[in-house]
Amino acid sequence: MSFEIREIVESAGANLPNLFDFASFGVLWKEGPHLYLYQEESCPPSFTQEVVKNMISVLSILGEEPIDVNQVNLHVEKRKLKSKQIFMDPAATLKSHLTLPLAAEGGISGCISLNSDRPNAFDAQDLQFFSVIGYQMAATLKHFQRFSSIKNIAIYDTLTNLYNRRYFEERLGVEVQKAFHTGAFLSLVMVDIDYFKRVNDTLGHPMGDKVLCEIGSLLKNSVRKKDTVARYGGEEFILILPDANLEASSMIAERIRRMVEKNPFEIDQAQINMTVSIGISNFPSHQARSKEELVKMADQALYEAKGGGRNRVCVFDPAKR
Amino acid sequence: MVSPGKEDKKEKWSADLVLDLYSNLLMEIWEIVSALLGETILELIFTLAIKKLGDKYPFLASMKVSEEGISLQELKENCRTMAPIEIHRGFQGLINHLFHLFSALAEGVISRELFPKVLPKVREAERIISQR
Repeated sequence: MSFEIREIVESAGANLPNLFDFASFGVLWKEGPHLYLYQEESCPPSFTQEVVKNMISVLSILGEEPIDVNQVNLHVEKRKLKSKQIFMDPAATLKSHLTLPLAAEGGISGCISLNSDRPNAFDAQDLQFFSVIGYQMAATLKHFQRFSSIKNIAIYDTLTNLYNRRYFEERLGVEVQKAFHTGAFLSLVMVDIDYFKRVNDTLGHPMGDKVLCEIGSLLKNSVRKKDTVARYGGEEFILILPDANLEASSMIAERIRRMVEKNPFEIDQAQINMTVSIGISNFPSHQARSKEELVKMADQALYEAKGGGRNRVCVFDPAKR
Repeated sequence: MVSPGKEDKKEKWSADLVLDLYSNLLMEIWEIVSALLGETILELIFTLAIKKLGDKYPFLASMKVSEEGISLQELKENCRTMAPIEIHRGFQGLINHLFHLFSALAEGVISRELFPKVLPKVREAERIISQR
């Protein structure tokens, strides 16, 4: 469950006890193959089970396709939602409920429920209030979903799922400022797939795309958490390595080169071998005065690697400027 | 002995009566339940119920549902020549399924509000059908 959804749920849950008398408030949220249940921490497991069963059944009845309780990945998160801690009887069972779908723009993204261990705990007025809350929650959640999908389009490359060039430029600006200000190391690693055009020309663009995705994921798995991996354009990738001196960045680059070289790519039940050329620039070692200059230096080093026979790592050489 | 022309007229008259009766009843259900659940959820529920009953009673598909409400204009035009009993069964199935969905969401809360309005009208429809 994403941070925004958790916040909305917590905020709604915190206000509900002022409006209703209930034993538990639950939110069931669908995110791909995962279902998240958000519920009171005071609920005994058996009660939670009944609530889950009931909410999934409602979601199944109202949703496009039925949900098999045994087939879903259910994640239960418990929070103290009520102002006062209420201890429920461990043997309490679900006796009444109000369950509403979180419906917006014709789709259902989950449901909310008020549950009680007393029979007939809710009346028409409760339902009226609760549906207003449900409507507001659905609208807010939809807004957040739309916002996060726009954000994803803006910063991610749609093919490789790596950051795109636009995000890279922004991130580099921040990292360069930080490095220039503190004098910390900052390395740029530019990676280019060797003879990539041949793959597209001989095996077709879908296979070329597959190679791009596989190398992209290989790059992502070869760096540290604080590093940024982006698709720079075409078959070029770029890595921002904060706090990495030349030695550390050369080690990472060499590891990437070797991994690509040793990793056979499965294309149409056949295997092809690919290699990459890599150029490295570093601050403060190469005395770049701007982010543009740092990029230019990495690009020049990459050019050296290509000219030197490809499948190699080159560090920027100021003498060849 | 009733002449065939008279019989047709009587049948058409009952179909119109049943259609008007259920049309008013569904409008009333919409009014009551939209105040409890909101139009967005109610539209979803009506659409689901119509889809569910669509195979058995295709005439229900010409009922228009949106957040603004329900419109039976087209359905009425399409059903004029149908047997009243068939119209009655279709609407009865729809109402039963709506009740089933309402119960899944709120147990007896919605049904309690609806029963006093719905039951007399369903009985009235049954009376019209049985008089034929």
